[in-house]
Amino acid sequence: MRSPNGLHPAPFPCDVSDDVVRCPFFAASVGSEPDIGAKQGQRAVNDGRENGARPASAVPMTFRGLMRLMWRTLPYLKQASRDLLLLGALALGLLVVVVPIALVFYDLAYNRMLLGKPLAAYQAGLFRLDPAIFVDVEALTVEAREVLRMRVVVFVLGAAAALAPLGLLFYLWWVRLQQRVNQALRVQMVQQVQAMSMRFHSGAPIGDSIYRAYQDSAMVTSLMAMMVKPLPWVVFTILALLAFLALEPRLCLLMIASYVVMFLIARAMTPGMRTRFRTARETNSELTSRIQETMAALKVVKAFGTESVEQARFEEASERAFDAACRARMHATSLQLVGFVIVALPAVFTAVYAAVLAGREAPLRAGAAVGLSGYTAWSLAAFSLAVGRAISASRAVSRLVTYWSETQDMAVGMDRALLHADLEPEVQDDKEAIPFPGLQAGVAFRGVSFAYQKDRPVLSKIDLELKAGEVTALVGPTGSGKSTLVNLLLRLFDPDEGRIEIGGTDLRKLQIESLRSNVSIALQENLLFGTTIAENIRYAVPDASDEAVQAAAKVACADEFIQEQQGGYHGELGERGSKLSTGQRQRLSIARAVIKDTPILVLDEPTASLDAETEMKVLENLATWGQGRAIVVIAHRLSTIRRADKIVYLRDGSIVETGTHAELVQAGGAYRRFVDLEQGGDLDPEQGREAQQDKAQQGAKQDKAQQGAKQDKAQQDPGGVREVPL
Amino acid sequence: MSEPASKPINNREAFKLLVRVLGYALPFKGRVMTKTALALVGTFPAILLPWPAKLLIDHVVQGKSPEDSPTQYPFFLQPLVDAIASASITESATYVFWWVSLTLVLIGAWHTRGRDIARDEFAEGHDAATRSEKQANFAYSFMGGLLGWIEFRVTMRLSQVLNHHVRSRLFEKLQRLPMAAMDDRRIGDSIYRVMYDTPSISQVLYRVGITPVVSPIGIALSIWVISLSYGHLPFVVWSLVAMVPLALLVTLPFSGTVRKQAQRARDRGAVTTVAMEEGSANVLAVQSLGAQGRERERFASDSWDSYEEYRRYIKLWLAMIFLAVACGLGLGVWVWFNLTDRVFAGALTVGDLSVLAAYYWQVAFSAGRLGSVWISLQENVAGLQRVFALLDMPGEHQPDHPKPLPAIREGYHFENVGFAYPDGTQALSGVTLEAHRGQMVALVGPAGAGKTTLAYMFARYHQPSEGRVLVDGVDLTDVDRDALRKQVSFVFQEPVLIDATIADNIRLGKPDATLEEMREAAETAGALEFIEHMPQGFDTPLGRNGGKLSVGQKQRLSIARALVRQAPVLVLDEPTAALDPETEAQLVRTLQKASRDKLVVVIAHRLSTIRRADQILFVRDGHIDERGSHLELMSRPGGAYRRFVELQSVAAA
Repeated sequence: MRSPNGLHPAPFPCDVSDDVVRCPFFAASVGSEPDIGAKQGQRAVNDGRENGARPASAVPMTFRGLMRLMWRTLPYLKQASRDLLLLGALALGLLVVVVPIALVFYDLAYNRMLLGKPLAAYQAGLFRLDPAIFVDVEALTVEAREVLRMRVVVFVLGAAAALAPLGLLFYLWWVRLQQRVNQALRVQMVQQVQAMSMRFHSGAPIGDSIYRAYQDSAMVTSLMAMMVKPLPWVVFTILALLAFLALEPRLCLLMIASYVVMFLIARAMTPGMRTRFRTARETNSELTSRIQETMAALKVVKAFGTESVEQARFEEASERAFDAACRARMHATSLQLVGFVIVALPAVFTAVYAAVLAGREAPLRAGAAVGLSGYTAWSLAAFSLAVGRAISASRAVSRLVTYWSETQDMAVGMDRALLHADLEPEVQDDKEAIPFPGLQAGVAFRGVSFAYQKDRPVLSKIDLELKAGEVTALVGPTGSGKSTLVNLLLRLFDPDEGRIEIGGTDLRKLQIESLRSNVSIALQENLLFGTTIAENIRYAVPDASDEAVQAAAKVACADEFIQEQQGGYHGELGERGSKLSTGQRQRLSIARAVIKDTPILVLDEPTASLDAETEMKVLENLATWGQGRAIVVIAHRLSTIRRADKIVYLRDGSIVETGTHAELVQAGGAYRRFVDLEQGGDLDPEQGREAQQDKAQQGAKQDKAQQGAKQDKAQQDPGGVREVPL
Repeated sequence: MSEPASKPINNREAFKLLVRVLGYALPFKGRVMTKTALALVGTFPAILLPWPAKLLIDHVVQGKSPEDSPTQYPFFLQPLVDAIASASITESATYVFWWVSLTLVLIGAWHTRGRDIARDEFAEGHDAATRSEKQANFAYSFMGGLLGWIEFRVTMRLSQVLNHHVRSRLFEKLQRLPMAAMDDRRIGDSIYRVMYDTPSISQVLYRVGITPVVSPIGIALSIWVISLSYGHLPFVVWSLVAMVPLALLVTLPFSGTVRKQAQRARDRGAVTTVAMEEGSANVLAVQSLGAQGRERERFASDSWDSYEEYRRYIKLWLAMIFLAVACGLGLGVWVWFNLTDRVFAGALTVGDLSVLAAYYWQVAFSAGRLGSVWISLQENVAGLQRVFALLDMPGEHQPDHPKPLPAIREGYHFENVGFAYPDGTQALSGVTLEAHRGQMVALVGPAGAGKTTLAYMFARYHQPSEGRVLVDGVDLTDVDRDALRKQVSFVFQEPVLIDATIADNIRLGKPDATLEEMREAAETAGALEFIEHMPQGFDTPLGRNGGKLSVGQKQRLSIARALVRQAPVLVLDEPTAALDPETEAQLVRTLQKASRDKLVVVIAHRLSTIRRADQILFVRDGHIDERGSHLELMSRPGGAYRRFVELQSVAAA
């Protein structure tokens, strides 16, 4: 294989070659122990092993592995089990009725009507035909044959008209059952993936999840078919072998010998087939991720003009996927084609040999044959029987071989699908978890430490109380752990040390659903869905009324611009709300949090992209709305922070200072420096003068504006005194 | 919704699509011809196969001499027949054995019923998407054995190169969509089109391009052989011929319905993909808003809908096949009555009847395939339309004869520029401005005023719908797009990182950047410190969209990425919103330094950033309301900018 690195020297060294898969998640987890694999995968991402090679082939799947796979699939089949049994019973019942009737008619049409042999008494009785004309004669007259022909045709057409709809119905039922089982598996997969923590998600390509949920999960239907389909073929093969045992045991031995050869070849080719099918699935999955990732980063691709690089990567991934599919499919097809020749050659020999025997009218070997065929020596009929059996056996065995190939592909796909279905979210409900206890006692962080990666603590020994009716501002440089603190509060992760209590109960003892439905959050990254504006606002409260949506939008100062959008509240947003400006999206996020109407509200940099005017309005609205709630605000802007009842200054994962704005400014510590910087205190000397002039002008207007804005706090605020180092 | 849902089309448009598909297959005409030739060879087994059994029965089992045979053997069997004529039973049997073994190895067949075909029996699912992977690698041969293997491989390779070609073009187009159109696209939908809709192309090629050539030849061959031996029974020949128009008559009325249903099935499938993609990409929102149950329901219902549409589609097919079989059966019964009359009269033997039955089925299958040609086209039109609709979208503007753009010396001149989105929303109008190298220009104004739209103009992400943008006196419209973007570094509002290492992300801006250059850029952007704290420094992989980095860190990386390019024009869309004041101050200082020999355009809300600009443009409702330096604008009592600053100061102080 060519090295992709060689082809694309920069900037993407972490790519896949044939047996090096970028995502360690499936590298670590293929094979028989998916749960452990998944966990390793999560850590592996953080160990930065993303470029690492994985073993060239997956853990080989043995027959036992296949059985175990089927065992793991059973839960998904269970819900369809009643239908499956019923369908099976009905189909079998139908078969029991139809086959004997078909045999009778075959006999009637060929032997009686075409060859003119008289009918058996019961046949005449069945059709109310006169025994004198149809039974007790040497041969049927032409008139009698014409009458019989009419009866046969009418009956066959009648039966077809009656049975065909039934057959169609059964088929549709079968398809529906397969879809139902597949649906259950898919939904479970998507649900598990979405329940996984961000640790998992930062390492798992979305395209891979999509591929698994679609292509891999579809294999469960093949699995269902696998349990039913081969049965008739096995029966045909056994019947043929029995027939030959009776006619000519040596032919029977010859056929068995060919099956053994067939089996040995299939066995030798199977491991290679599995590897190839797995590679085919992995490369296709990789390709899906390729598309997803490029589409998600399209702006940047454009900005840096790397379209041709991306195009080359895509085409290479596509070619690799096709090559892998070709190798896997040709491998399976070769087995099928060679297999047929191997099992058909003895059949050909059998046919020719039987013809010679029949030409010589050689005696049949076994006495049993007398009972079987009604003949004592080889004849045209015995020859026809032999040829018929030989054909049906060779076809059946060849189908079985084809089916074996399909099963390999199925097993590989199922393995990949079940891996996601069986994922265990890092954060799970405790068995005795209780619902959210109410906020009276507030939220307390007690000695909380946390690290995404073991050697890089993000938070250490955090002690913090959030009270109802209080606004707490988390302040500090980027990367100091502010957002992580909030993630812990939402239990997106569990702390490594210490605990978080709400109403005296450890967060780990609360039902996750209940906890999260009592906390609303406006995220820093404004993640919107490609539905309508109203749908995005009521995302967490699907049954919220239009009035409630509008009220929330008003709190977030979003009502005005929404009304101006095409379609207003029911206007569609593009991918991730890309039609809106960041500031507008930010306000939608806030509205989405507000409408949840929860005792705890978290705003992660809620106003970073808002202009001053809007920001002020939003904050005022929130202050009125937020009475009696615990509000946590993460912010850099002084205008946002200073309104807080309590300011918590974080640095490198520890709380450095806590207090009100006034207290902290007075204290002259880290927060004070932060305030100075925020107010442009680092201006160069010459610009300082300019800044002072600005200030003078601002000062003049300030009083007037303040009256309008009801900013009592602002007046007594020492932060208003600017210190400009000259 | 994102894309206009596929519109129903009439038969003439369907035909046009077919012509277009053949156009896409043109580069692979060698392969297409090989495939057609092999498919033609594949019709011969049907003619060869009935005879060996007859040879065995007549000349081995019954021991008759071929010379006594009332049936004239076809010329291609004559050497074998001659050999048998002068041979013993065992020898005859041996000859037949070798002949049959030869056909077995070559085409995998030795008897009308004892034949193998290279099937593509690979697992597939039960909706449009899960079937498409098999279609992308579609391969089939009506032969087995060596020739079957070859045809199978040739077919698969043809399917693959064709699909590869089309999906590469589609991907190319997706990347070249203008920013304004891109905003409307859903990623899930794009995935669906590239991965699951494109295989329709190869399906159409085979079923509509090759079958109409091969099937009639197969039918003609069968009829020819039949007429050799049974030419004295004209109704046999005519009933065989009649099957072709019959098949077409049955399927034609269904074509419109099938097409509509296929469209619905595909549109539904794309909705499911969108649900899955969005749920995964927004997983943070899903979890933090406690909406997992809701997302699960959404996916479950979308997925089930897509199954349901597929089932409706199957029902349609079943109904059609049912009708076709019923008609065929009617014809068959009539022929059968006529034939059995002759059997009763002793004019035909039972053996003749079975030979004729074999041929009847043969022709019926071919006619069925021919009849389904039009319907297959209809079925695949849905996928084709979704592919072509995207391919036909206007791509980003690129002049036919782009002027080269030497290094920008002076700067930009906007002349009465206006911009309207495709949906008619007017985002900018009458914008006139000058921006030169050596300047720092700040775009200020309320959210939604059009600042980002205006900034996009600098890199021609948007093409002005009125007026023009000149760079060094040359109309931007005439300039080579890639050459322009090489000179404009753009930092977007929301940082987008790729799933690679930090170094890779920075090198996006400049593929050959040295570590030193990267360090410098990172330091300027305030990113060096946290990068060096990472376990592997610059070689730390980031995971999906930046993984564990905080938003501020991501923003700094994307700024570093822009800085490392050293491009003469630098545009930053709210670069400092998520930065802490310390980093911001440092960044702004750097930008100011940079603007001594560059043009720096910055969108900002923070006064600390804005006041350092040489020129401030206050944008409101798509117009430039005021312009000038901070001091100039502040000296305008009642000015919009002044009010903006005052409000900010009030809020902050």
